[in-house]
This record gives sequence, C-alpha cells and structure tokens, in this order.
Amino acid sequence: MDVVIQTEGLTKRWGALTAVDHLDLQIAPGECYAFLGRNGAGKSTTARMLLDFIRPTEGTMRVLGGTGSDPAVRARIGYLPGDLNLPRAMTGADAIAYFGGLEQRRRAIDPEPLIERFGLQPHRPFRELSTGNRRKVGLVLAFMANPELLILDEPTSGLDPLLQEAFRDLLAERKAAGATIWLTSHVMAEVERVADRVGLVRDGKLARELTMAELRHQATGQIRLSFPAPVDPHELRTVAHVTRAEAEARDVVVAVDGPVTDLLERAAELGVTGIETEQRDLDDIFLEMYEAGGTST
Amino acid sequence: MSGFWTIYSRWFRDRLRSTIFWTVGIALVVVASAAFYPSLSGASGGGLDSGGAAMSSLLGLSQGIDPGSPLGFLWISLYANIYPWMLMALGVALGVAAIAGDEETGALEYLLAKPVTRTTVALARMACAVTILFVVSALSGLSLLVTLPLFDLDEPASTTTAAGASASTTAPDTATAVPTTTAPATTTPATTGATEGVTAVDIFNGTFSSFAVALGLAGIAFALGAATGQKGLALGVASAFGIGGYVLYTLSNMTGSLEPLTWISPWRWYVDDAMLINGLAWDVALPFLGALVGFVAGWLLFLRRDLQNP
Repeated sequence: MDVVIQTEGLTKRWGALTAVDHLDLQIAPGECYAFLGRNGAGKSTTARMLLDFIRPTEGTMRVLGGTGSDPAVRARIGYLPGDLNLPRAMTGADAIAYFGGLEQRRRAIDPEPLIERFGLQPHRPFRELSTGNRRKVGLVLAFMANPELLILDEPTSGLDPLLQEAFRDLLAERKAAGATIWLTSHVMAEVERVADRVGLVRDGKLARELTMAELRHQATGQIRLSFPAPVDPHELRTVAHVTRAEAEARDVVVAVDGPVTDLLERAAELGVTGIETEQRDLDDIFLEMYEAGGTST
Repeated sequence: MSGFWTIYSRWFRDRLRSTIFWTVGIALVVVASAAFYPSLSGASGGGLDSGGAAMSSLLGLSQGIDPGSPLGFLWISLYANIYPWMLMALGVALGVAAIAGDEETGALEYLLAKPVTRTTVALARMACAVTILFVVSALSGLSLLVTLPLFDLDEPASTTTAAGASASTTAPDTATAVPTTTAPATTTPATTGATEGVTAVDIFNGTFSSFAVALGLAGIAFALGAATGQKGLALGVASAFGIGGYVLYTLSNMTGSLEPLTWISPWRWYVDDAMLINGLAWDVALPFLGALVGFVAGWLLFLRRDLQNP
C-alpha cells in the first residue's frame, strides 16, 4: 500500500455552505500529517468523511485500501473525536470494556499502561469527568488497540502541558512502530514535534502543504541587528540571501535564507553594535501563511 | 453481525434502572386502579350511564361493555386508556432513544467509529427496545394477575358487586349505590359474557394487545429517529400520533364527523377491538406489521444519510 489516506476532489456541501472544497490529500504509511486550520475550516468534517459518518457531495477517497464504510477498515483505525461523548453513567473502565469488546483484535488490547500513563481514574462515571479527563478516556480508547491509522481531532485540547507532553511521547512511539497519523489542530506549535507534514486548510480548501523541514526553515533566519544610529533597511535588503529587512527604532530585523556571511560583513561596515538571532514563533508563521493562503492559492 | 450482543446488552444495561422504574411505576398504577374495584364497581355503572355517549366514547364503552363487571371495570379504568398510554409512552421513549437519542450528543457517532455496521447498531437497539417493552408489559400484566383475588376481580360480577355494596355500607352514597347493584345483573345477558371473573387469559389478551399498540408506536418513533437523527422531531411526531390519534378517535365517536380520518389512529384499532374483553383477533398482527415497516424504513434511511453533527 503506497498511500494510507487518499482523497481526490473531496467536497462536502450543506446547501450554500461548502465545508470541504475539492480537497486532495495523500498520506503515506508511517507519516504524521497535521491538518491545520482555524475553527470551522473543515478539519472535523474531513475526519467525519474519512470515517463514513457523513458522505461526500463530490470526489473520492480511499482509507487503508478501502473506505470508512467497511468495518474491517475501521477496525484498523483509532479515532479520537473533537468532543468525545459517552453515555453519562458509563465509566472509563466500562467504556474500555465495551468499545474494546467491539474491536476485532480485542485480545491484543492492553489498556493498563495507557491508563497509568495518562493518570486516568477509570471508575468515575463520564458525567463527572472534566474536559481534560474525558480527553484522557478518548486517548486511551483511541490507542488501546494499537491501530495502524490514528485519526485524532484536536487531540491535545483540554490537556495540561504535562499530559500534552505524555501524548506527544506516545505519538512518537506509535509513529516509530509504523503507525500512520492524521491529526487536526489549530495551533502550529502543538504539532511541531510530531508532524512530518502540515496541511493548512482554510474555508475548506487546502491552502498550502509543506514539510516540517520547510516550515522550520522559515522559522529560523531572523536576525536583529542593533546600530548606534538608525540605518536605512534598504542598505541590507540588497545583500545576498537577505529576504526581508525591516527597521524597528535603531534596530533592523533581517530574514535570511542561506549563509549569513555577506550580511555580517555589510553590518560590520555599517557599525553594528549588537547581533541577536531570533526564532520566529511558528504560530506567527502559520497566521502569516494563513492570511496569505486565501489569496495566493 | 459482529458486535450485536455487545451493543444489545450494553444498551439494556444502560436502561436497566429506568426499566425498573417504569416497571414499578406501571405496576403500581395497575394495582392501584384494580384496588378501586370493590368500592366502585357498583356505583360506576350508574355514574357512567348518566355521562352519556360522550363519556362512554372517551372510555371506550361504545360496544355496550358493562362497566360494572370485572372485565368492564378493568377496561374502562386501565386497558382502554391509562395502561396503553403508559406503554405507548415507554415505546416512544425507547424508539426515539434507539438511534436519535445518542446521535445528538455524538455518542452514536463514536460507536460507529468502531468496527460495527449501522445495520448491527439499528438491529441491536431495536431488538433491545422490543425486549424492554415486552419485559415491562409482562411484569405489569403479571402484577395485575397476582393481585386480582385481593380485589375480587377474579370472581363473577354478581357476587363481587354484592360484596362491594355490603362493604360500602358506611359510605355516604350507599343510597345511590344500592339501586345500581342490580343493574349489572340485569344487563349481563346483553353484554359479551363479561360478568365472569377475570382470568389469566383475559389479562394476557389485554396486556398483549396493549404491548402490540405500544410496539407499533415504538416502530414509528424508531423510523422517525433513525431517518432524521432528530430526537425532538421523533419524540414530538410520535407522541402527537399517539395523543392526536386518541383525541381524533374520541371526538369522531362523539360527533361522527371525522370518522374517515380515524383509520390512522391506533386507538380506533385498539378500542374497537377491545381484545381484553373480546379476545385476541387476527388484526393484533397489524401493529407488529407496523413496527416492522417502521423498523425497515428507519433502518434503510439510516444507512443512506449523514449522521447529525454533534
């Protein structure tokens, strides 16, 4: 199998609203793909189509060589919904026994290490659980059967930083073991460590797709140069590999794509007094691309 | 059909407490109603006669059923109204809960992310709804059966009403009760032999026909819930069908003007046949057929549609 998830022209419309608009995706085995977008961009709708909860208006999709409507395909998927809801009186232990009992590979299920890892209290009824604790139940249920494909909708929302860390560790382990992961998020920093590739979705359209390496490249290369007196940023814009130079008081902030040798030489000539490298916030990049995405595609 | 029993037993377990409450509640109403027989059997005949055709129609007494007889009393006080009402309410609640109930919360969607088909879920839930409705009907019918002797309902009317009259000598309306004690005895030949004491077969006939009509309504509720995924809509329309059908039928009996419309009312079938008194008829199969049609229609539409966004 070359691709685990493949969609072609996938579209979902409800009347005048187009939730997902001609989406083309290809996720390779063992890949961790982050589907990023703001609320209402069409992330959950895409997840719900992959699992056959809703049917596309147009386009085709293949999941694990079949479709989500086939129980044999769903048996190989671990799913975490954006907002898990279970019968109110059901406890975590009940849920594990019940949903575990419906799995085809139920004998292979071992929820104990996961319960321990997330500090889940398995005997409290669902109605008494906080958002974060419901999330823990959802994560244990999604991972316990060691699925080949994980479809995770906003997996870390509601989790405290320690649990987010535990979740990322778990994800990295499953990825190392060969699982394919498709997850949604609206925070770039959240997926930075785990994702191989990011798709930015905006108004149901795939605005941009890039690898984490490309993304990290954009995050680095910002250098703040301090001068004793204001300097015209144009002096630096013409230097090799400089992509952007903006004046900020007596500083000039420069973005570089490549070696910085020429830039440093020119800065020295201009009498630079301080050099600081700045890591750009991934979320800023995300927002920047997001805003641009609407027009550039 | 992988997962059928797991889903069936889980759904039953989730409803065990409410099933117990329904059973105890209905059994209490049934037994409490039966307990009025010794004191009311004599008086009720006269009271109903004075109520005229409208009252008789409301109580399903259009066929000359003698309200003073044990069976007639059970019919007017329970089986022509409250008892099927309660079972119908349960049937509608179960029919709606089967699919639409947890679809709105997203719980159904989560279940369908597992390796089970929509068909399995629909079948298991409907089968479980039928089981619960059957258990509650059977246990409430049984509670009436075992308490019959306590209220003299198992004895023929003449001795019962005499006992009722003698027991009520301290009651202020003894004077009005006394003349009517003779009324059932004189009218019995005209009625359908209903002055005999109530037997287990009578209770079975009445309970089974009530179960049937409730099941039919459960089928409608299931169809609406499964076809739309909207709990409020299914609950509203199915309840309206039960309640509206009752109003339509009784009003039509009084005025005669809406008669052609009453064929859609489950009450026309239920009250006209009065199976508690007349015994089971072949058309007891109709609500079962209705439930089956409702299930199949709901199931087919459920397979074809999008789940509601939780």
